[in-house]
Amino acid sequence: MKKNLQWKVVLTLLIVGGAIFLAYPFNDQKIKRGLDLKGGIHLVLQVMTDDSINIETDQEVARMEDLLKRNSITFTKVTKEGLGRISVQGTLADQEGKTRDLFDEYTRDWDYSFTGDRANLSLKPLVVQFLRDQAVSQAKETIDNRVNGLGVSEPLIQRQGSDKIIVELPGVDDPERVKELIKVTAILEWKLVKAGPAADEATLLQATNGQVPDDAEVVRGDPKRGQGGYYLVDKVAVVTGKDLRTIRRTQDEWNNPAVAFSLNADGGARFEQVTGANVGKEIAIILDNKVQSAPVVQNRISRAQGGVIQGRFTPQEADDLVVILKAGALPAGIKYLEERTIGPTLGADSIRQGLMAGLVAIVAVMAFMVVFYKLSGINAVIALILNILILFGALAYFKAALTLPGIAGIILSIGMAVDANVLIFERMKEELAIGKGVISSVSQGFSRAFSAIFDSNLTTIISAIFLFQFGTGPIRGYAVTLTISLIANLFTAVFVSHLLFDLIVRKSAKKLSI
Amino acid sequence: MQLFKTPNIRFMKYKTIALAITGAIVLAGVLNVTVFKGLKLGVDFGEGTLLRVMTKTASSEGRIRDLLQTVGLGKSQVSKIGNTGQEFQIRAVESVATKADQQGQLEAHEALADKIIAALRGSEGAAQKARGLVDLNAIDSESLSRLLESAFPGSGPDAAQRIISYRTQTGIISDFKVLDGLGLKPEVQTFLRDKTFLGNLTVLSRETVGPQVGADLRRKAVQATIWSLLGMLVYIALRFKIEYGVAAVFTLFQDVLITMTVYSFTNREINLPIIAGILTIVGFSINDTIVIFDRVRENQKLMRGKPLEEVMNTAINQCLARTVITSGTVFLTVLALFLFGGEVINDFAFLMLVGTIEGVYSTVYLSCPVVLFWQKWFGAKRTGRR
Repeated sequence: MKKNLQWKVVLTLLIVGGAIFLAYPFNDQKIKRGLDLKGGIHLVLQVMTDDSINIETDQEVARMEDLLKRNSITFTKVTKEGLGRISVQGTLADQEGKTRDLFDEYTRDWDYSFTGDRANLSLKPLVVQFLRDQAVSQAKETIDNRVNGLGVSEPLIQRQGSDKIIVELPGVDDPERVKELIKVTAILEWKLVKAGPAADEATLLQATNGQVPDDAEVVRGDPKRGQGGYYLVDKVAVVTGKDLRTIRRTQDEWNNPAVAFSLNADGGARFEQVTGANVGKEIAIILDNKVQSAPVVQNRISRAQGGVIQGRFTPQEADDLVVILKAGALPAGIKYLEERTIGPTLGADSIRQGLMAGLVAIVAVMAFMVVFYKLSGINAVIALILNILILFGALAYFKAALTLPGIAGIILSIGMAVDANVLIFERMKEELAIGKGVISSVSQGFSRAFSAIFDSNLTTIISAIFLFQFGTGPIRGYAVTLTISLIANLFTAVFVSHLLFDLIVRKSAKKLSI
Repeated sequence: MQLFKTPNIRFMKYKTIALAITGAIVLAGVLNVTVFKGLKLGVDFGEGTLLRVMTKTASSEGRIRDLLQTVGLGKSQVSKIGNTGQEFQIRAVESVATKADQQGQLEAHEALADKIIAALRGSEGAAQKARGLVDLNAIDSESLSRLLESAFPGSGPDAAQRIISYRTQTGIISDFKVLDGLGLKPEVQTFLRDKTFLGNLTVLSRETVGPQVGADLRRKAVQATIWSLLGMLVYIALRFKIEYGVAAVFTLFQDVLITMTVYSFTNREINLPIIAGILTIVGFSINDTIVIFDRVRENQKLMRGKPLEEVMNTAINQCLARTVITSGTVFLTVLALFLFGGEVINDFAFLMLVGTIEGVYSTVYLSCPVVLFWQKWFGAKRTGRR
């Protein structure tokens, strides 16, 4: 054997061996299947980043009032003018210098300007961007935690664009529950009940002449928890979800599922003090502005004791509440832009039929090659098998998922692989027909056909790269498998196939089986 | 085996007629798409809800539509899938665009899907649910496992696993009798008959796309296609000549147009996998075109002084065996997909069948004539690579 042939054999074996090593044993762990072939949930969510700007603005109003008071600057009021904009009114002209100094020192995130007796402040664009960005990453982290709490295997949660999050959960068979679990903002508050429950707002507010007192607000009961009606509760919460130290599933005294909690030192102290002062009154447990239950305070609840949240939960709802509370609240609301649920039956169907069709196609192509090109056809078959092995190895290596559009990409590449062989073989026949020898026909066939094969494969690879760059999910899946197998194609159909001919065809050969 | 002895068909003789035919087809397609039917956008690019359901007993499109009529959704598109008479695809077409914001619209679509499912489930299950029974055809594995575990400690997960995997395989449990074959203990079976019922519907898939994403996906698909066409144009112009690049891209536009035309006549929907199919057709067609162009490039060196039309004819004839073999193989492959590929890739395979034939035609009768006409109008440049 010639030396350069030896090297080519070693290189081929290394590449193919490597591919088999990466993809072995060709199972689900190695070759990932996309949601369309596996079943699962695909969600695109948008984080309402305006929420976090809103919160920041609200907080700034309170901080500003405090700041001005502490520095004895007289003002009539601080107003929220809009998203990231507040104004201070009644700033006297002779206080302007002092106020500017204060702003410079304490409100660095805000741009300000004075017009007459009024100061306008707006949140700096960079800060706005930072807050939005932070809201999205916090939301992603919270969703991550919640999904992990569910115990879904291999969830995919990633950011897309400036404010979107993609959630892909393979193999989940209860989409409604998951959607609910991801979407809840999960702001948990304990608030003292002033009045209620009442059937409607008018009845509720009878005692206060139809007005909601300044320090109170109206909250609805959660119909799911069997808490109909309206409650009038304190505006300020006694404790919130942030004060929780531990949380777990438990049962109440009637053996119904419930959630037990304990509080951190700070929250525990407040809880102890408030419950002590309000024995006999109701305290509402509010999740996302809906009253879950409103138990009567029986006695002072000590710091260490903690408490129980009841609310006619099913076991699963209680479990989910634990997961949600452990993961923490979302920093901003989220909304769904896209929801796809593929049931496991459909996924299994698709993969079975897709594989079946793929196998039928490949076997048909191979049979054709052998019948039409005889022994040379076997070279083409070997090249095709190696091509597929390399593709699977690469898919396993890049952890790219196989999807239906991906299978379309494979079909195109199989077609082009066959075409490469056909081009070469037809060229060999042409050379043989004009009376050239076997060895020279083989080498002429390869070299003459090369430019067509190279140009057509490269053109398609170029288009696939653009598709990957600008396309979305399924189109990308197509582009990935196509690119990989076309590169593999250039290697197997040209390099390996040539090598096989070189190894088989002897100098003395008079005939070529083609 | 030799497919053709020495073919010498004067393909280019018919170039004007061919261009006219091509023009007519494209015109018909454009008219069909713009004036008459329009392209049916799937949920991916439009917006709305697409449901796939399986019924417990065989039903018909008409009966499903009647059920939907009862909740005022009689206009929904219902299509039967497969030949068991149990699988149906439902696309709700009721407009929800009246809702002010996009979130409202997505939620309205979702609510629509819920409404459809409820209508199809009908009142049958409601009575059982009221008695506290759970639907064995809708319960998730975790809840079933918990339910069984509470009655038969230690064997819940295993029994649940068997039942769910059977349901996954068949899509729906049509009768309690099938549980006999699953190796469940008799008391478990009795328990299930007692505590659960078999709802008459399972939801196989459910897709809701909000208006914002629909528009986004549409824009991105168009953008990706245009960029990749431009990429090909530049590469071919560099490797061959500018007119070859233009001709190739021109051909591809026509491929897409003709395929879409045929597709639009069949009343099928355009969704993301179909875009993958169109891209595949484009891939095959460009491959074909380049193979011929490559031969033309080679022949120009060998046949100096001969007119380009003759050079092209020779090239097409020389490549004829290859064209027939390759396209034939691809056609057979796609035919296999079409016949055995199942519902999911059926639309895709159909598109490919059309595209494979069309791709060959367009190479011979569109890319080559375009180059010829271009050179006639702008004059052939002697320079250019090779």
